[in-house]
Amino acid sequence: MRCRIGVYVCMCGSNISDYVDVEKVREIAAENPCVVLAKTTMFACSDSTQKEIIEDIKVNELNAIVIASCSPKLHLFTFRNVAERAGLNPYNYVQVNIREQCSWAHSDNPKFATLKAIQLVKAGIDKAKNSVSLEPIMIKAEHSALVIGAGITGMKAALALANTGTKVTLIEKEHYVGGRIAQWNRLFPHNDPAEKLVKTLYEEIIINDNIYLYTGAELISKSGSVGNFIVKIKIKPRYFKSGYLIEQCIEKAIESCPVEFDDPFNYGLTKIKAIQQNHIGQFPYYPVIDMSKCTKCGICTDICADIDLEQKEEELELNIGAILIATGAESYQPPSGEFGYGVIPGVITLQMFRRLIDLNGEKLIYNHKQIKRIAYIYCVGSRQYDGENQYCSRYCCTAAVHTSLIVKEKFPEIVNIHLTRGVRTYGKQEILYNKSNLQKDIYLQFDDTPPEISEENGMINIKVVDILTVKKTIELDIDLVVLVTSMVPRKNKELENILKLPIGRDKFYNEVHPKLKPVETMIDGVFIGGNCQAPMNISESVKSSLSAVSKMNALIGKGEIQLEPSLATIDKSICVWCDECTKICPSDAIIKTEYNGKPVAEINEANCKGCGMCLPVCPTNAIQLIGYSDVEIESMIDALASYSPEFTI
Amino acid sequence: MAYNYSNINDYDVLVIGGGIAGIEAALNLAYQGYKVILVEKDLSIGGKMIHLSKVFPTLDCAACITTPKVSETARHPNIKIYTYSEIKDIEKLGERYFTATLVQKPRYVTDACTGCQLCEEKCPVVVEDEYQWGLVGRKAAYIPFSIANPRIAAIDIENCTFCGLCEKVCAAGAIDFTQEEKRSTIVVKSIIIATGFNLFQSERLSYYGAGKFKNLLTSMQMERQLVPTRPYNNVLRPKDGKVPDRIAYVLCVGSRDKSLGNPICSQVCCMYSIKQAQLLMGALPMADVTIYYIDIRAFGKGFDEFYKQGVGMGVNFVKGKIANISEKENGDLILRYEDIDSGVLKEATHDLVVLSVGILTNPDFEKLFKTTPLLKDDYGYVRQVSELLSPSKTSIDGVFVAGTASGPMDIPDSILSAGAASTEASVYMKGGAS
Amino acid sequence: MGENQKIPKILVFSTEKISDPAIDLAGLLKKHYPPTVYVVNVPCSSSVKPKWILHAFKKGFDGVFIAADGSDCQYSETCTFNTGEIVRKTHDLMKKKGIEPSRLKMAAICSVCSDPFVKQMKSFIEALI
Repeated sequence: MRCRIGVYVCMCGSNISDYVDVEKVREIAAENPCVVLAKTTMFACSDSTQKEIIEDIKVNELNAIVIASCSPKLHLFTFRNVAERAGLNPYNYVQVNIREQCSWAHSDNPKFATLKAIQLVKAGIDKAKNSVSLEPIMIKAEHSALVIGAGITGMKAALALANTGTKVTLIEKEHYVGGRIAQWNRLFPHNDPAEKLVKTLYEEIIINDNIYLYTGAELISKSGSVGNFIVKIKIKPRYFKSGYLIEQCIEKAIESCPVEFDDPFNYGLTKIKAIQQNHIGQFPYYPVIDMSKCTKCGICTDICADIDLEQKEEELELNIGAILIATGAESYQPPSGEFGYGVIPGVITLQMFRRLIDLNGEKLIYNHKQIKRIAYIYCVGSRQYDGENQYCSRYCCTAAVHTSLIVKEKFPEIVNIHLTRGVRTYGKQEILYNKSNLQKDIYLQFDDTPPEISEENGMINIKVVDILTVKKTIELDIDLVVLVTSMVPRKNKELENILKLPIGRDKFYNEVHPKLKPVETMIDGVFIGGNCQAPMNISESVKSSLSAVSKMNALIGKGEIQLEPSLATIDKSICVWCDECTKICPSDAIIKTEYNGKPVAEINEANCKGCGMCLPVCPTNAIQLIGYSDVEIESMIDALASYSPEFTI
Repeated sequence: MAYNYSNINDYDVLVIGGGIAGIEAALNLAYQGYKVILVEKDLSIGGKMIHLSKVFPTLDCAACITTPKVSETARHPNIKIYTYSEIKDIEKLGERYFTATLVQKPRYVTDACTGCQLCEEKCPVVVEDEYQWGLVGRKAAYIPFSIANPRIAAIDIENCTFCGLCEKVCAAGAIDFTQEEKRSTIVVKSIIIATGFNLFQSERLSYYGAGKFKNLLTSMQMERQLVPTRPYNNVLRPKDGKVPDRIAYVLCVGSRDKSLGNPICSQVCCMYSIKQAQLLMGALPMADVTIYYIDIRAFGKGFDEFYKQGVGMGVNFVKGKIANISEKENGDLILRYEDIDSGVLKEATHDLVVLSVGILTNPDFEKLFKTTPLLKDDYGYVRQVSELLSPSKTSIDGVFVAGTASGPMDIPDSILSAGAASTEASVYMKGGAS
Repeated sequence: MGENQKIPKILVFSTEKISDPAIDLAGLLKKHYPPTVYVVNVPCSSSVKPKWILHAFKKGFDGVFIAADGSDCQYSETCTFNTGEIVRKTHDLMKKKGIEPSRLKMAAICSVCSDPFVKQMKSFIEALI
């Protein structure tokens, strides 16, 4: 217990002293046997008083101070700093709010305000008596990051991290980097070519000494906590022995490979072999064998000595300070029959349509038929009436409108008909919508009645109740129906389990708070960026991952992490391991350990945020929060409860 | 011109604008160890966000989010804030530095001010309170608003009568009428433009009668009626102080309108109108709220769900553009619009109408640079030279843009944009290409 | 009501980031509430131990009020539920000890909700008289 306490009662000009008899407060404080010195002061926060306090602490060897002044929100840090400058632990400083919560709140009754101030100061003195000196907890942090997913979002983040001095391991599950954008080819709003974007980033990455890029790589385990994660990565082989040469033989090997199947990159519009070369916009320029399809017939190995079908997976263990998840999203796959998908041949998704545009020359041909009239049906797989995807998928309106511009540019004779649910080309993207209107695209809008699709003699018929023309039912003959399909969360149970990622209502990964902590997850040191969090366009994804970089650098850039010392502590001798605290802890900060042969709970200091949620649920009262221990709180209650007979009506 | 090189290491980054984007960028950089100078032209930091009621789609109270960030900024050892100050004459100094002139306008109150408001109490001058969007009055000696930071008074010298009462009553001796504008030169390595946006001035639309009809409010005025610290502690009609019960929202006021030179969508008005409608239904359970819209753009995370929540609460959504508004004798307003549902011209009477005004560029950034101008885009916003790969890059190397200075966006997007700007500034200062 | 009737004493558990700024704001705006309202800070309203509440009653407080974070809580979305659970549990304990459960109340107080706070305090005091 501390028993050399200094008390300062601030007048705050007249803000306090007009209503509170500060001299009376000082007198009563001075009566406390542990109070060595009690003063009143005009402005406690002024420079001269600060110096005086420092002098007092030193001369009188004070071991705690109490300042009764304004709200701690204004000057807690000022006075903690004063304590520190005098060589006193800042946590042995107690601020008592006698302005906002006393003199001002009770300016209508100075007598009561004085009585209340006396009690508040008494309670403050008791809190100071029981205060403990605390040091910030420092934990060592690896100055290195793991970025999961090498789409645009992850690549950009990796580069920014590396260029600000952080060592980065960038892993990509596929054998090529670039994510989905290569399939889109030309990107809204300015028609940037995807290939150029990916190439720029890829080339910067491979020459950057701070980045280790692994393709065909997945996270398989994670242990440790913020600043000190230990991660294991599994790397699939490409089944090529050596380096970077793309030998002549590869072409021949691909030609002679007997295994041929629908190329997922082109949504089955073309075929691909088990030995594959990258598509335009995918990097590295290096072939790979898809072992899930390869029959190991050995024909290719005879052609290319570089091929080794017996290559094994490798595992890698790394120490990592922080993790960024940039795993992106998937496109919604309509079930068979939704708007005729999979049943009527001329119904395809927007993603497939983009490949079709690229693969066609002067005329747009699908299913051996020249396409002249296209209907785009919006909000497929998003804003569902009954389905589970209630959310708006944000990027698709603009993507569809942009597609219609590309179509018109390449195939001017084509008529674009948009069946929307309200076009959401927000912000500057509105200009694309304006352009689409200018090129005489037709816009119809449906509401709660989805369009009906049927087929007769190779012609598709759409019936739509158009709310823009007094809910008239309009019939359209169409050559091709493009379903504007949404972004859906990627199915990645393993990753979610490994990282214990919180999933939101919309099944995307959840941030802690959309404004306060928009790229942070509840797991300290694990960040999210881009489409794994929510549908967004490229620019927005990059912004979010760059935001995450800034938070990651602030966290691990100094090589150590400073934590507030007001954390929970568990008295293991009385813990009975009921599991209640682990269930309620929002920060995954309680771990199971052993004490005298029995299972008990223990606080993981790196994760504990000091919220105290675990305190009330402990059946044996084994948990104390530093700074808010039973003795501190109860001694304050005692002082405040001491009855003052003058408080009467 | 000779520069004072002694202060070359005082700051690394200049952040212009102390709204939510500027604050976020400054904090991000400060936590990474950079020295930041944050310059705000207003008397307090916090921008427009600090004045909002609750924010969509979570309905958190805006102050609950802004004030902790504001005080974190104010006490961060790596951030120096200049409020009521402006930046001028930015120029490149060699390859890696910029110089700029910092102009500190006099507020006639020194840092000794404790925010006690005694001067405000005694000041005899009452003028319109711009922080309450003209809904109520304020004094000439005043604290800008209750949660202002710094909580230091200012003297509105234009309206001051120099009666000297404030000086007499101030125990801290903080009133100083001798203050003058101060100019100094600062040197920094990188600059973040976070100058925010301007609201569309609805008075430009004579056919809506804004500025003429009393019961026609802008959405920002309604916002102030909905904050817990609101001036009337209730939602009232300005004309007669009656509690309204048929409230209308007119969307796309000043946005998506080529004739006004603003063809783009403001990105936030649909959502803030739905939010206000929900808050109104809470504050005035008996009131009918109708939103007249062209398209509802509820695109962000949780937005469409929030829109549906509004529908579920009974907010009436009518698809149709308002052609004009006229006033009845009792102050009620008649809205004429083409009802898309029925295809006919209709009229509706409301006793309070809110114009959901759009976002326009704040052209202040154009005046910041001395020789090489910062390029703007077709809509007057700071031009993003690499929108997809480096969204905060501008036409000047080392100058980055954060928040609505680059285009309309909501608060979460502004915060992310500020995050990107701080990262790109950091990459730039480390000498790396980004 | 007698001339010298005591004003009931209320202990408020308020949270540093959310409800305490509202209580400060009430003072700042000179919105008065009875002086027998005493505030003790905690990080989050879900951290209040029933033991502390019972201690306050034992020591003579007439009422205990938890100024909850509600949906503004920065730690957990389940804060409102958790705080509600604390109140429920404590109500049970109070009943066992013969303390009227209405002497413990909670309400969410946002960081600028000074009016609701003052109203809550006044009506709570009224109810306790």
